[in-house]
Amino acid sequence: MSTWSAVMIVSIVAVMTYVMRAGVIVALADRPIPVPFERALRYVGPSVLAALTINLAAGGEGGPSLEIAEAAALIVAGGVAIWRRNLIWTLLAGMTTLWILTALT
Amino acid sequence: MAKIDRRAIADAIPLFLPAIPFGFVLGLAATEGEMPIAIGWSTSPLIFGGAAQLAVLTLAGTASIWAVIVAGLVINTRHVMYSAALAPVFQRQPRWMRWLGPFMLIDQVFALTIAHVDRPPDEFRRYYLTCGLFFYVNWQWATALGMVVGPVVPDSWQLEFAPAIMFLGLVLIGINRVPQAVAAVVGGLVGLVTAGLHDRLGILIGAVAGIVAGAIAELRQDRVSATGLLSPPEASR
Repeated sequence: MSTWSAVMIVSIVAVMTYVMRAGVIVALADRPIPVPFERALRYVGPSVLAALTINLAAGGEGGPSLEIAEAAALIVAGGVAIWRRNLIWTLLAGMTTLWILTALT
Repeated sequence: MAKIDRRAIADAIPLFLPAIPFGFVLGLAATEGEMPIAIGWSTSPLIFGGAAQLAVLTLAGTASIWAVIVAGLVINTRHVMYSAALAPVFQRQPRWMRWLGPFMLIDQVFALTIAHVDRPPDEFRRYYLTCGLFFYVNWQWATALGMVVGPVVPDSWQLEFAPAIMFLGLVLIGINRVPQAVAAVVGGLVGLVTAGLHDRLGILIGAVAGIVAGAIAELRQDRVSATGLLSPPEASR
């Protein structure tokens, strides 16, 4: 890949990413936000993060795929997240489950 | 250091630790990819979004320039929704903050700051900027270090799976109302069904489905509480 192509890719993605992050905030700066829109916005966080989790875990072209060890790691991590409400414990529990089950299978 | 800064950093550290392995994976991709290494690393200060950076670095040279750009942008489309979700809070911020703040609006900063939108504007700003700068500065050395260390971490560590676990934790810890749970479950299930789509479009489709489901669940909850089937404290949750 040429340096010029690489610079072009990084520049365009960087500028457009900023536009996506700033667009609505800057555009709506001094306008009232419609109630139904505001209501929908409350669910952006859980929806996107849940879809992102699944996509990172099972995503990829050719259809969803999730190993048994990976599914178990997510279930254990989910249980620990609800129980401890702590991200480090969640990560440790999930990764340990993944390593043990991968070693056993 | 002000108390709010210490709180922001204390909240950000647990979220940043799992980003370190992600930085290593990214470093590996940068050293093995077709893009010149220095330009590959520059995605960290310029794009500042791990998943999109990873897509750009791994696809570069294997797909057309425009396909690489579109892939990176589609992954980052979710930031439009973050921007929309925080827009009401930014209405109470000065102009410079409205232009600077969004540059740091990554998944982790959104997840942390959305829980602090009820703070007074100056406190929210301080919390947001401290979180954002913490992630921005540390992400730079993590990805640079990843270029050195990433290639020597054994595959058996399966570090690429860590981000999924972290995002799962973020979802579950953030849920404290029924409609939020409905949004997360529907977003996750639709995300699973659409996980095989190109360019991670499943993230967007799952998110939209979850938002609609959450809004419908809230409407139903309002109706049920309006007819008096729930006790007032239950209905107001």
